[in-house]
Amino acid sequence: MTIRNLSMSAVSAILVASLLPSPASAHGLREMGETVEVADSNMAVTPSRDWNRLSGNIGRRTETWTLDGGQLNDVTFYGGIEIGDPLVREQNRRQEPLPKFTETTLLIEIPELLEGTYRTYKSIGTFETLSAEPIRFLGHSGVLFTYEYTDVDELTRKGEARASIIDGELYMVTFDAPRLHYFEQVIGDFRALADSSRLE
Amino acid sequence: MFRFALASIVTGLLSCASAAGALAQSAPILPPYQGVYQPVGVDEIGIWQEDDEGERRLAASPLVIRDERLTSYVKDVLCSAVGEDRCSATRVYIMREPTFNATMSPNGTMRVFSGLLLRMRSEAELAAILGHEFGHFESRHSLNIFKSQRRGTDLLAWGALLASMSPSYDVRRNYRNLEISVYGNLFRYKRDQEREADTLGIVYLNNSNLRPQAASEVWQNLMGEIEASANSRGLSRPRFNAVAFTASHPPEGERAAYLSQLASPEGASRDDGAARYQEVLSTWLPMFLDDQIKLNDFGASEYIIESLARNGWTATLWFARGELYRTRGNQRDLVNAAQFYANAIGMDANLAEAYRGLGLSLLKTNNMTDGEAALRRYLELNPDADDAMMIRLMVPTENSQ
Repeated sequence: MTIRNLSMSAVSAILVASLLPSPASAHGLREMGETVEVADSNMAVTPSRDWNRLSGNIGRRTETWTLDGGQLNDVTFYGGIEIGDPLVREQNRRQEPLPKFTETTLLIEIPELLEGTYRTYKSIGTFETLSAEPIRFLGHSGVLFTYEYTDVDELTRKGEARASIIDGELYMVTFDAPRLHYFEQVIGDFRALADSSRLE
Repeated sequence: MFRFALASIVTGLLSCASAAGALAQSAPILPPYQGVYQPVGVDEIGIWQEDDEGERRLAASPLVIRDERLTSYVKDVLCSAVGEDRCSATRVYIMREPTFNATMSPNGTMRVFSGLLLRMRSEAELAAILGHEFGHFESRHSLNIFKSQRRGTDLLAWGALLASMSPSYDVRRNYRNLEISVYGNLFRYKRDQEREADTLGIVYLNNSNLRPQAASEVWQNLMGEIEASANSRGLSRPRFNAVAFTASHPPEGERAAYLSQLASPEGASRDDGAARYQEVLSTWLPMFLDDQIKLNDFGASEYIIESLARNGWTATLWFARGELYRTRGNQRDLVNAAQFYANAIGMDANLAEAYRGLGLSLLKTNNMTDGEAALRRYLELNPDADDAMMIRLMVPTENSQ
């Protein structure tokens, strides 16, 4: 009897534990001044203010941070996309394949790669690269580019991104926010965050 | 793949044999125009109110292309098909959306997607699609669909209630059968409405100054594109999405067949307005092509470019093809892309973007000298390009000068 009670309570404890959200998959706080590794990679950042890390990811080696929710400000880290991989997880590999990062992809073509990915992944019909210029990112030559697109919610969003190709892997951090108010409000925080990024 | 298309056309032909017989008789009669229409009854008034609200939002949407010339041209094509009196009841909005579609809502709002404009090759083809949409409007199909859906779901709700009162195996099975037949009827109803709109569309064209045979060519062209898209993605069969029980539109093969049959034979020698269409679209074609290429659907994009090139290759089309191949980016694609950019430059020596594409393709195939020369030419032609600073980095001699 005792043994049966014990085993039943163990089973219920396991059941309850499996139903509770595990800490790894929950949203998390990224506190000011604490260096953290991002996107399951050796890329690390030291935020200059508190950020929220969203649970789940849009692809292997990606991680998304926000202040007010992904629709209003979205910082996504891409930590070492390998040759032959898309930036984000393909929702339908056969019917809606995404463009891939290839060994011949040039730095200047990364805005096109992000554009092709967004157009399919977000099902949007407009995207415009506004500028692309050289920058040092993670201690290597990189590209800093800005863009604008109208999302399916018919809000026009602006974006800024930094990317670099290091040992055949693509590292990138993007910031997307509605053009009205939210982009200008948070762009300074994003730039500080991107400036703090480095490879461990 | 070809066999499948053929099979679908044959099936379509067989299945529509009886429908086409009926259609052939009704084809020449254009219903008299009712004049300015106002909604009647609580359902229709409600739908129009929702629609008016939708149009208010649409008018402010950032996805609307605000080009008066293009918009009034598309409206004129509609008017030339359906007649001035009918088309005065409509407002046309061009949407930047790279898919094959146009819609018309009950209050007379017509949305024309940029993907449709890209795929059309003449005024007659555009008029065929716009006429079809206008047919839905004139026959008030949205209202009828709404009512039939409500009837069907009401019946199912009562059926579910009664079935739950007598929970036996037979009753459940009968309820399932009822469900299948109600949904089947709804889909069939939608297909029949599409056929009716097709018929009205072709009657408008027969009565216009445009070539009605274009209506059938639109669907043949679309089938070719769907097949090309499936081929390049290695799919076992194309997504015609049309032979199944649940398709809401008649199969493209069936449409092509009955539209061809209904087109007035004496109209075959009429002008299809291809030259005028190309002239108006020329300023927008580069953007529409770019939107299509970035969809990452190589087969469909290649088919569209080649289909447009049947009227003659232009620098814009060669450039688009170069971009398509460079974006896919296999080594063999890059060699082809360089050739296509060179063809574009051969037709327009000042096409800066083509030098950019040529330069990048050559660099990626290790032809550094020619690649850098092409990029330098790009910077000469477009020194303020949005990526000029990046390109300058890639051209060492430019920096040292």
